[in-house]
Amino acid sequence: MELLPFFEWLEASALGEAAKAYGGVFAVVQMFHLLALALLGGTVILGDLRLLGLVMTDVPSETVIRNTQKWFNAALALIAASGIFMSGAVAIKLYYNEMYWAKMTGLGLGIAFVYGVRRPLLLRFEHATINPWALRLLAVTSLIIWFSVAACGRWIGFS
Amino acid sequence: MQARMAPMLNELLLSLAHWLDAMTWSTALHESLYLYAWVESTHVLTLMVFLGMLFIIDLRMLGLIFTEVPASAVAERLDVPMLIGFTVMVATGFILYFAIPVRTTQSLWFRIKVVLLIAAGINALLFRARMKAADGSWDRDPKPPQRLRVAAGLSLALWAGVVMTGRMIAYDWFDCHKQLPYFLYWAAGCVDEMARFE
Repeated sequence: MELLPFFEWLEASALGEAAKAYGGVFAVVQMFHLLALALLGGTVILGDLRLLGLVMTDVPSETVIRNTQKWFNAALALIAASGIFMSGAVAIKLYYNEMYWAKMTGLGLGIAFVYGVRRPLLLRFEHATINPWALRLLAVTSLIIWFSVAACGRWIGFS
Repeated sequence: MQARMAPMLNELLLSLAHWLDAMTWSTALHESLYLYAWVESTHVLTLMVFLGMLFIIDLRMLGLIFTEVPASAVAERLDVPMLIGFTVMVATGFILYFAIPVRTTQSLWFRIKVVLLIAAGINALLFRARMKAADGSWDRDPKPPQRLRVAAGLSLALWAGVVMTGRMIAYDWFDCHKQLPYFLYWAAGCVDEMARFE
Protein backbone atom coordinates (compact mmCIF):
# COMPACT_ATOMS: atom_id res chain seq x y z
CA MET A 1 0.00 0.00 0.00
CA GLU A 2 1.37 3.39 -1.01
CA LEU A 3 0.96 5.85 1.86
CA LEU A 4 2.86 8.87 0.55
CA PRO A 5 -0.21 10.45 -1.13
CA PHE A 6 -1.97 10.43 2.23
CA PHE A 7 0.91 12.30 3.86
CA GLU A 8 1.04 14.77 0.96
CA TRP A 9 -2.68 15.32 1.31
CA LEU A 10 -2.36 15.78 5.08
CA GLU A 11 0.34 18.40 4.75
CA ALA A 12 -1.67 20.34 2.17
CA SER A 13 -4.93 20.05 4.14
CA ALA A 14 -6.45 22.79 6.28
CA LEU A 15 -5.02 21.04 9.35
CA GLY A 16 -1.52 21.09 7.92
CA GLU A 17 -1.89 24.74 6.94
CA ALA A 18 -3.12 25.69 10.41
CA ALA A 19 -0.35 23.75 12.17
CA LYS A 20 2.30 25.39 9.98
CA ALA A 21 0.93 28.92 10.01
CA TYR A 22 1.29 29.71 13.72
CA GLY A 23 4.43 28.60 15.55
CA GLY A 24 2.82 29.57 18.85
CA VAL A 25 -0.19 27.31 18.32
CA PHE A 26 2.10 24.44 17.39
CA ALA A 27 4.11 24.97 20.58
CA VAL A 28 0.96 25.01 22.74
CA VAL A 29 -0.30 21.80 21.14
CA GLN A 30 3.13 20.32 21.74
CA MET A 31 2.79 21.22 25.43
CA PHE A 32 -0.46 19.24 25.59
CA HIS A 33 1.30 16.37 23.82
CA LEU A 34 3.99 16.41 26.54
CA LEU A 35 1.50 16.74 29.41
CA ALA A 36 -0.48 13.82 27.99
CA LEU A 37 2.80 11.89 27.73
CA ALA A 38 3.37 12.44 31.45
CA LEU A 39 -0.16 11.30 32.31
CA LEU A 40 -0.12 8.32 29.94
CA GLY A 41 3.30 7.21 31.13
CA GLY A 42 2.38 7.84 34.76
CA THR A 43 -0.74 5.67 34.62
CA VAL A 44 1.13 2.90 32.77
CA ILE A 45 4.07 2.98 35.20
CA LEU A 46 1.86 3.05 38.29
CA GLY A 47 -0.30 0.13 37.08
CA ASP A 48 2.69 -1.95 36.05
CA LEU A 49 4.72 -1.24 39.18
CA ARG A 50 1.69 -2.29 41.22
CA LEU A 51 1.45 -5.56 39.26
CA LEU A 52 5.15 -6.08 40.01
CA GLY A 53 4.43 -5.45 43.69
CA LEU A 54 6.68 -2.39 43.88
CA VAL A 55 4.30 0.46 44.81
CA MET A 56 0.92 0.87 46.55
CA THR A 57 1.09 -2.70 47.78
CA ASP A 58 -1.53 -1.94 50.44
CA VAL A 59 -4.08 -1.04 47.75
CA PRO A 60 -5.64 -3.95 45.79
CA SER A 61 -4.11 -4.14 42.30
CA GLU A 62 -7.64 -4.31 40.83
CA THR A 63 -8.30 -0.84 42.29
CA VAL A 64 -5.03 0.53 40.91
CA ILE A 65 -5.67 -0.88 37.42
CA ARG A 66 -9.28 0.35 37.33
CA ASN A 67 -8.31 3.90 38.32
CA THR A 68 -5.25 4.19 36.10
CA GLN A 69 -7.00 2.66 33.07
CA LYS A 70 -9.64 5.40 33.18
CA TRP A 71 -7.03 8.16 32.94
CA PHE A 72 -4.93 6.20 30.47
CA ASN A 73 -7.87 6.41 28.07
CA ALA A 74 -8.12 10.17 28.50
CA ALA A 75 -4.36 10.62 28.07
CA LEU A 76 -4.31 8.46 24.95
CA ALA A 77 -7.14 10.50 23.40
CA LEU A 78 -5.31 13.78 24.16
CA ILE A 79 -1.93 12.55 22.98
CA ALA A 80 -3.40 11.18 19.73
CA ALA A 81 -5.37 14.34 19.00
CA SER A 82 -2.38 16.63 19.63
CA GLY A 83 -0.14 14.23 17.71
CA ILE A 84 -2.37 14.28 14.63
CA PHE A 85 -2.39 18.09 14.69
CA MET A 86 1.40 18.25 14.96
CA SER A 87 1.92 15.67 12.22
CA GLY A 88 -0.06 17.90 9.85
CA ALA A 89 2.73 20.47 9.94
CA VAL A 90 5.52 18.06 8.99
CA ALA A 91 3.65 15.18 7.33
CA ILE A 92 5.97 14.62 4.35
CA LYS A 93 9.06 14.85 6.54
CA LEU A 94 7.54 12.26 8.87
CA TYR A 95 6.84 9.91 5.98
CA TYR A 96 10.60 9.68 5.33
CA ASN A 97 11.52 9.43 9.03
CA GLU A 98 12.30 5.89 10.21
CA MET A 99 11.73 6.74 13.86
CA TYR A 100 8.22 7.93 13.04
CA TRP A 101 7.37 4.53 11.58
CA ALA A 102 9.01 2.75 14.51
CA LYS A 103 6.87 4.85 16.83
CA MET A 104 3.65 4.20 14.89
CA THR A 105 4.38 0.47 14.87
CA GLY A 106 4.97 0.55 18.61
CA LEU A 107 1.84 2.63 19.14
CA GLY A 108 -0.30 0.17 17.14
CA LEU A 109 1.18 -2.69 19.12
CA GLY A 110 0.62 -0.83 22.39
CA ILE A 111 -3.03 -0.06 21.63
CA ALA A 112 -3.66 -3.69 20.60
CA PHE A 113 -1.89 -4.87 23.74
CA VAL A 114 -3.81 -2.57 26.10
CA TYR A 115 -7.31 -3.06 24.68
CA GLY A 116 -6.85 -6.62 23.42
CA VAL A 117 -4.88 -8.20 26.27
CA ARG A 118 -4.08 -6.12 29.33
CA ARG A 119 -7.45 -4.49 29.91
CA PRO A 120 -9.71 -7.51 29.24
CA LEU A 121 -7.52 -9.71 31.41
CA LEU A 122 -7.02 -7.32 34.32
CA LEU A 123 -10.48 -5.79 34.48
CA ARG A 124 -12.42 -9.03 34.07
CA PHE A 125 -10.55 -11.40 36.36
CA GLU A 126 -9.52 -11.22 39.98
CA HIS A 127 -5.77 -10.79 39.91
CA ALA A 128 -5.26 -13.50 42.54
CA THR A 129 -6.65 -16.05 40.08
CA ILE A 130 -4.06 -15.13 37.42
CA ASN A 131 -0.63 -16.79 37.40
CA PRO A 132 1.69 -14.27 39.16
CA TRP A 133 4.34 -14.75 36.48
CA ALA A 134 1.79 -13.93 33.79
CA LEU A 135 1.04 -10.67 35.65
CA ARG A 136 4.74 -9.83 35.89
CA LEU A 137 5.27 -10.61 32.21
CA LEU A 138 2.28 -8.44 31.36
CA ALA A 139 3.69 -5.54 33.40
CA VAL A 140 7.19 -5.77 31.93
CA THR A 141 5.83 -6.06 28.37
CA SER A 142 3.66 -3.00 28.92
CA LEU A 143 6.57 -0.95 30.30
CA ILE A 144 8.83 -1.93 27.39
CA ILE A 145 6.20 -1.12 24.74
CA TRP A 146 5.27 2.31 26.07
CA PHE A 147 8.83 3.31 26.88
CA SER A 148 9.79 2.42 23.29
CA VAL A 149 6.92 4.45 21.85
CA ALA A 150 7.91 7.50 23.91
CA ALA A 151 11.62 7.12 23.16
CA CYS A 152 11.03 6.73 19.40
CA GLY A 153 8.77 9.78 19.60
CA ARG A 154 11.52 11.89 21.09
CA TRP A 155 14.02 10.55 18.61
CA ILE A 156 11.92 11.70 15.62
CA GLY A 157 13.29 15.15 16.35
CA PHE A 158 16.91 13.97 16.39
CA SER A 159 16.88 11.80 13.28
CA MET B 1 18.81 50.84 43.03
CA GLN B 2 16.56 48.22 41.46
CA ALA B 3 17.58 49.36 38.01
CA ARG B 4 21.20 48.69 38.85
CA MET B 5 20.66 45.38 40.66
CA ALA B 6 19.27 43.59 37.61
CA PRO B 7 22.18 44.36 35.26
CA MET B 8 24.60 43.35 38.02
CA LEU B 9 22.85 40.03 38.51
CA ASN B 10 22.68 39.53 34.76
CA GLU B 11 26.39 40.18 34.37
CA LEU B 12 27.14 37.82 37.22
CA LEU B 13 25.04 35.05 35.70
CA LEU B 14 26.55 35.67 32.28
CA SER B 15 30.12 35.47 33.56
CA LEU B 16 29.24 32.23 35.34
CA ALA B 17 27.86 30.95 32.03
CA HIS B 18 30.99 32.00 30.13
CA TRP B 19 33.15 30.31 32.74
CA LEU B 20 31.19 27.04 32.30
CA ASP B 21 31.20 27.46 28.54
CA ALA B 22 35.01 27.61 28.51
CA MET B 23 35.21 24.13 30.02
CA THR B 24 36.19 21.33 27.67
CA TRP B 25 33.39 19.06 28.88
CA SER B 26 30.73 21.62 28.18
CA THR B 27 31.80 21.90 24.54
CA ALA B 28 32.32 18.14 24.22
CA LEU B 29 28.81 17.46 25.48
CA HIS B 30 27.25 20.09 23.24
CA GLU B 31 29.06 18.80 20.17
CA SER B 32 28.72 15.08 20.96
CA LEU B 33 26.94 12.96 18.41
CA TYR B 34 24.62 11.12 20.79
CA LEU B 35 25.32 11.96 24.42
CA TYR B 36 23.50 15.28 24.41
CA ALA B 37 20.49 13.66 22.72
CA TRP B 38 20.50 10.87 25.30
CA VAL B 39 20.60 13.29 28.22
CA GLU B 40 17.88 15.39 26.63
CA SER B 41 15.72 12.30 25.98
CA THR B 42 16.17 11.12 29.56
CA HIS B 43 15.12 14.58 30.75
CA VAL B 44 11.94 14.47 28.63
CA LEU B 45 11.04 10.82 29.20
CA THR B 46 11.41 11.12 32.97
CA LEU B 47 8.36 13.41 32.77
CA MET B 48 6.42 10.15 32.79
CA VAL B 49 7.84 9.23 36.19
CA PHE B 50 7.98 12.60 37.93
CA LEU B 51 5.06 14.46 36.40
CA GLY B 52 3.09 11.23 35.96
CA MET B 53 3.13 10.55 39.70
CA LEU B 54 2.52 14.22 40.50
CA PHE B 55 -0.52 14.31 38.20
CA ILE B 56 -1.99 11.24 39.90
CA ILE B 57 -1.52 12.83 43.34
CA ASP B 58 -3.04 16.13 42.14
CA LEU B 59 -5.96 14.33 40.49
CA ARG B 60 -6.61 12.53 43.79
CA MET B 61 -6.66 15.90 45.56
CA LEU B 62 -9.18 17.09 42.98
CA GLY B 63 -11.32 14.01 43.69
CA LEU B 64 -10.88 12.63 40.17
CA ILE B 65 -8.90 9.41 40.70
CA PHE B 66 -8.51 6.79 43.47
CA THR B 67 -11.51 8.23 45.32
CA GLU B 68 -11.83 4.95 47.27
CA VAL B 69 -8.24 5.22 48.55
CA PRO B 70 -7.34 7.75 51.33
CA ALA B 71 -5.70 10.85 49.85
CA SER B 72 -2.72 10.60 52.19
CA ALA B 73 -2.12 6.97 51.15
CA VAL B 74 -1.92 7.97 47.47
CA ALA B 75 0.39 10.90 48.25
CA GLU B 76 2.66 8.84 50.52
CA ARG B 77 2.93 5.76 48.28
CA LEU B 78 3.74 7.80 45.19
CA ASP B 79 6.17 10.09 46.97
CA VAL B 80 9.24 7.89 46.43
CA PRO B 81 8.77 7.23 42.68
CA MET B 82 7.96 10.93 42.22
CA LEU B 83 11.12 12.03 44.02
CA ILE B 84 13.24 9.55 42.05
CA GLY B 85 11.86 11.07 38.86
CA PHE B 86 12.43 14.58 40.19
CA THR B 87 16.05 13.81 41.04
CA VAL B 88 16.72 12.46 37.54
CA MET B 89 15.05 15.50 35.97
CA VAL B 90 17.06 17.96 38.05
CA ALA B 91 20.34 16.11 37.39
CA THR B 92 19.79 15.88 33.62
CA GLY B 93 18.52 19.47 33.65
CA PHE B 94 21.79 20.68 35.16
CA ILE B 95 23.76 18.70 32.58
CA LEU B 96 21.70 20.26 29.77
CA TYR B 97 22.37 23.72 31.20
CA PHE B 98 26.06 22.89 31.49
CA ALA B 99 26.19 21.86 27.81
CA ILE B 100 24.72 25.16 26.55
CA PRO B 101 25.24 27.64 29.40
CA VAL B 102 25.39 31.04 27.68
CA ARG B 103 22.35 30.72 25.45
CA THR B 104 20.34 29.13 28.27
CA THR B 105 21.26 31.90 30.72
CA GLN B 106 20.02 34.47 28.22
CA SER B 107 16.88 32.52 27.36
CA LEU B 108 13.68 34.31 28.33
CA TRP B 109 11.87 30.94 28.41
CA PHE B 110 14.46 29.39 30.69
CA ARG B 111 14.14 32.32 33.06
CA ILE B 112 10.35 32.03 33.19
CA LYS B 113 10.75 28.29 33.70
CA VAL B 114 12.99 28.82 36.73
CA VAL B 115 10.49 31.28 38.24
CA LEU B 116 7.64 28.81 37.68
CA LEU B 117 9.73 26.00 39.18
CA ILE B 118 10.28 28.07 42.33
CA ALA B 119 6.55 28.88 42.49
CA ALA B 120 5.65 25.20 42.03
CA GLY B 121 8.15 24.28 44.75
CA ILE B 122 6.64 26.78 47.22
CA ASN B 123 3.14 25.53 46.34
CA ALA B 124 4.25 21.93 46.96
CA LEU B 125 5.74 22.80 50.36
CA LEU B 126 2.57 24.66 51.43
CA PHE B 127 0.54 21.71 50.15
CA ARG B 128 2.53 19.29 52.30
CA ALA B 129 2.14 21.50 55.35
CA ARG B 130 -1.62 21.69 54.82
CA MET B 131 -1.86 17.94 54.39
CA LYS B 132 0.06 17.27 57.60
CA ALA B 133 -2.02 19.83 59.51
CA ALA B 134 -5.24 18.19 58.36
CA ASP B 135 -4.68 15.13 60.63
CA GLY B 136 -6.88 12.86 58.59
CA SER B 137 -10.18 14.72 58.97
CA TRP B 138 -10.85 14.65 55.21
CA ASP B 139 -8.44 11.90 54.26
CA ARG B 140 -11.16 9.45 53.26
CA ASP B 141 -13.39 11.98 51.53
CA PRO B 142 -13.63 11.24 47.82
CA LYS B 143 -13.31 14.99 47.24
CA PRO B 144 -10.89 16.90 49.51
CA PRO B 145 -11.76 20.42 50.86
CA GLN B 146 -11.69 23.37 48.49
CA ARG B 147 -8.38 24.87 49.66
CA LEU B 148 -6.62 21.59 48.76
CA ARG B 149 -8.37 21.37 45.42
CA VAL B 150 -7.20 24.92 44.68
CA ALA B 151 -3.62 23.98 45.58
CA ALA B 152 -3.83 20.88 43.35
CA GLY B 153 -5.21 22.91 40.46
CA LEU B 154 -2.47 25.50 40.93
CA SER B 155 0.12 22.73 40.97
CA LEU B 156 -1.18 21.34 37.66
CA ALA B 157 -1.16 24.81 36.09
CA LEU B 158 2.35 25.65 37.31
CA TRP B 159 3.82 22.37 36.10
CA ALA B 160 2.08 22.75 32.76
CA GLY B 161 3.82 26.12 32.57
CA VAL B 162 7.17 24.54 33.42
CA VAL B 163 6.75 21.97 30.62
CA MET B 164 5.62 24.64 28.18
CA THR B 165 8.47 27.08 28.87
CA GLY B 166 10.95 24.19 28.97
CA ARG B 167 9.91 23.14 25.48
CA MET B 168 10.09 26.76 24.28
CA ILE B 169 13.78 27.08 25.19
CA ALA B 170 14.46 25.35 21.87
CA TYR B 171 12.73 28.16 19.93
CA ASP B 172 14.89 31.21 19.18
CA TRP B 173 12.09 33.82 18.91
CA PHE B 174 13.41 35.90 21.81
CA ASP B 175 17.14 35.19 21.61
CA CYS B 176 19.47 38.12 22.22
CA HIS B 177 20.61 38.34 18.59
CA LYS B 178 17.04 39.17 17.52
CA GLN B 179 15.67 42.70 17.27
CA LEU B 180 13.67 43.01 20.50
CA PRO B 181 12.20 45.78 22.65
CA TYR B 182 14.41 46.93 25.53
CA PHE B 183 12.35 45.25 28.26
CA LEU B 184 12.77 41.86 26.60
CA TYR B 185 16.53 42.35 26.45
CA TRP B 186 16.30 43.26 30.13
CA ALA B 187 14.17 40.21 30.98
CA ALA B 188 16.39 37.85 29.01
CA GLY B 189 19.54 39.43 30.46
CA CYS B 190 21.01 40.45 27.09
CA VAL B 191 23.67 42.63 28.69
CA ASP B 192 25.47 43.71 25.50
CA GLU B 193 22.28 44.51 23.64
CA MET B 194 21.06 46.59 26.58
CA ALA B 195 24.31 48.55 26.56
CA ARG B 196 23.68 49.48 22.93
CA PHE B 197 20.50 51.29 24.01
CA GLU B 198 22.41 53.53 26.43
